[in-house]
Amino acid sequence: QRSAPLRLLAAGRELCAAPGLISALRAAHGAEVRVCALRAGSYVVSSRTAVERSLRSELLSPRRRNKVAQRIQRLQRVFERIVVIVEKDRHRPGEAPCRAQRPQCYDAALSALARAGLRVLFSSGQEETAALLRDLAWAERREDAALAVPAAVEGRRQETLNFYLTIPDLGYPAALNMCHRFASVRAVANSSPSALAAGAQLSLQKAEQIHRYLRYTFDRQLLPESPDPKGRSTARS
Amino acid sequence: MTTKANFPVTAGPVVVPYGHVIGNEKWRGSEIAQRLQGKIRLIFEDGLGLVDFHLSNRTCILYISEADLVAGNEFKRRLVRFRNASSLGGIVIVERTQISDQYFLPVQKLVVLELGMVLFPVANQGEASQLITQLVREQSKDENSNPFLRKQCSQLAEPSLLRTVQQIPGVGKTKALLLLQQFGSIHWLCNASVKELELVVGQTVAQQIYNFLCS
Repeated sequence: QRSAPLRLLAAGRELCAAPGLISALRAAHGAEVRVCALRAGSYVVSSRTAVERSLRSELLSPRRRNKVAQRIQRLQRVFERIVVIVEKDRHRPGEAPCRAQRPQCYDAALSALARAGLRVLFSSGQEETAALLRDLAWAERREDAALAVPAAVEGRRQETLNFYLTIPDLGYPAALNMCHRFASVRAVANSSPSALAAGAQLSLQKAEQIHRYLRYTFDRQLLPESPDPKGRSTARS
Repeated sequence: MTTKANFPVTAGPVVVPYGHVIGNEKWRGSEIAQRLQGKIRLIFEDGLGLVDFHLSNRTCILYISEADLVAGNEFKRRLVRFRNASSLGGIVIVERTQISDQYFLPVQKLVVLELGMVLFPVANQGEASQLITQLVREQSKDENSNPFLRKQCSQLAEPSLLRTVQQIPGVGKTKALLLLQQFGSIHWLCNASVKELELVVGQTVAQQIYNFLCS
């Protein structure tokens, strides 16, 4: 068990934003990194913990900070634990590193992060971030929360995975677990909350929420009537 | 041994008046103290033990200077003793300078990952005073103004249900609506027989849906 490689999931956008980071995780730390369409967060390091990698500069402008906040809010609905890694921006070669005074709004943002109960880690670059992600994944494995099933799903299972991923506030790791550990969608739908919690590595509270969703009685009246933006809504049916 | 270790922390939760910060006597006259003057009301007290500043009844600051980092492991013992003895939320402020940079990552790992405390790096006491000012301000603010704090929002399940059912191969929006209206919930849809499905959609699609949900 100890020698098995650490498993992490990375969001697709990280492939362009931080290619050095992902290759460092693979090459230097021997981790198994799967790039997939995470709907929120930059990385997933265990069944319950997601990581938001945010550049220091993103915390400096109000508009960009709000975007980070929105992403974190979304993560909080899905994951039990959120870690924010604040990474120093890369400066281009030849450009003098700016030695300006530390802006007040940066401290304000850090204070708000701490008050919201988020774990914050600091990194001076992509390689350091890779080492932090490895440490996080290790810590989670020690607490028996590591990603337990392979991140790859084959063939028609991919469609089943996409089906699970549309369940509100269900994270990628839980959807993977459902794919690998339940025989079919029907088996999931017929499971008790505690069986869901055990199989999908969810808290009982979250499992109950999923259980309610699967049994929720649909009422067409409650569907918001969205006029088709292209203005051809009813004509087709 | 434990009694000795507990002794300095017994000052633990002190009563901090609103808008004030209580500082350890040893910080009197320091750069931090001077810079905090005029921004927040700072009172000095003796016998705060391991704590450097109390920001509120629940939050306090432990300061680790460049010299502490270079001097060795004493500061680690101090942090562990604090963590074991106090229920206060501890914020650790660490001087990360060119000299102490090499020690930063292991310290961060210890504080955040192992002790579960909050850690902020600063370059010098000036930056630390600015950070403390913001931490105090944040505490006096209404919690709802915090953009990172989880907001409760309940959404209707109907649009999500429609999206979920549309993920079944061969099912578009129209068929998804028909299926949901006929069977009520995903649970009932999953337990429908091919015959029952055929009453709503065509034979081929009914078989396709059945295969997707049940195998």
